[in-house]
Amino acid sequence: MSRSLLTLYRVDSPRLAELSAQLRETLIRDDRPALAQLLQLGAELALRVEHAPRAVDLFLVPEAEADVAPLWASLRRVAKRAALERVWTSDSPSLEGRLRAYDTLREEPEIAEAIDRLLDARFLPWFLRPVGSTGGWLKDAERSALANRMESLAPALPDEVNALVEALGGMDGDALVHDRL
Amino acid sequence: MLGGRRPAADGSADGKPPNKSDAKALRRPRKEGRPPLPEVTASPGATLEDVLALREAGRLDEARALLASLDKGRGLRAVLRAAAALEAGDDEELAQLLPALAQQEPSWQLTLQVAAAIDDLARRRSLAGEADRLGAPPWASAWLGALSKDHEEQRRGIVALLFEDAALARTVAARDLAVAGAIVDNDAIARYASFAHGRDLVRRFGAERVAQLLDRLREKPSRAAKPSGTT
Repeated sequence: MSRSLLTLYRVDSPRLAELSAQLRETLIRDDRPALAQLLQLGAELALRVEHAPRAVDLFLVPEAEADVAPLWASLRRVAKRAALERVWTSDSPSLEGRLRAYDTLREEPEIAEAIDRLLDARFLPWFLRPVGSTGGWLKDAERSALANRMESLAPALPDEVNALVEALGGMDGDALVHDRL
Repeated sequence: MLGGRRPAADGSADGKPPNKSDAKALRRPRKEGRPPLPEVTASPGATLEDVLALREAGRLDEARALLASLDKGRGLRAVLRAAAALEAGDDEELAQLLPALAQQEPSWQLTLQVAAAIDDLARRRSLAGEADRLGAPPWASAWLGALSKDHEEQRRGIVALLFEDAALARTVAARDLAVAGAIVDNDAIARYASFAHGRDLVRRFGAERVAQLLDRLREKPSRAAKPSGTT
């Protein structure tokens, strides 16, 4: 089993919310051409969407299914392009474990809570949650506060954690961490 | 407050539901010449399934007696026992049960379960609105929409559920909507089973009867409970 590498993104929250609202409206209307356009699908995928009983059904089956996997990939590609900007990627597979279990971090309740939020996929839109992935989201103020608090512990933290602290502190806006986008 | 006790309105009891010995009392002849319920000894493993089987066999009095022996004063058993008393026109037993039940119900959970089990579309929408007023979370209301027989409403509901709780949406798609290729999501199955079990029991019991009980608990006379012949 391989451990994943975490990537930090800057999130354009209003743009992501707008995309989410467009997707929702399209699915409610069951507007296949609009969905194909929104997800920038090629002709073959657009035809697959056209032939589904309902557009929403395509997102209710496991995303690993061959029929829908390209659709999910398109959706995530569009979301990334619209609202996420890569800031930094860790080169250490041990970063997630350090964040979740390192004593020095866990003993600080405010830090532990913010880290848990940054690694809790429930805070991500449903279409940014591939099965088995790690990811989460912090608002601008929470990101900034976490970076400051962790920076004060820097001498006691491993290098891979300090690299994340530096990236968190060096960016602006909302932060999203993910290992599978 | 759930689990709390308050005096009955008439001061004749402490608001507690009849317990098993009270259930024995129900088998004694009562005023107005109502015959006692038949004596039923619940086996240790008796469940609501047994009650429903008796009802489906037309043995309503035995079903009521078994419900009385199973009832611990809380949850769906207490609700169905009161609904059965209402159905039988047994005002005496109903008067005993309602004060305690009114401390627990109507809850948004039961109201939505009844809404999900009922066929009449207008009644269903009215109950859904009531559940919203009682604090039903968005995912619960979306679920109800997803179960609608109206295609438009169902699609709107399952999309809303996907955005509110994708794991539950996938589970509902697999279990209730038979979407080809959909499979149950383990993150949602416990929540699904809890709600769906209650809905299915209410449906088998008779959703309209339980809806009438909810009306009584809200102290609003049910349209369906009006004597026949009224307009």
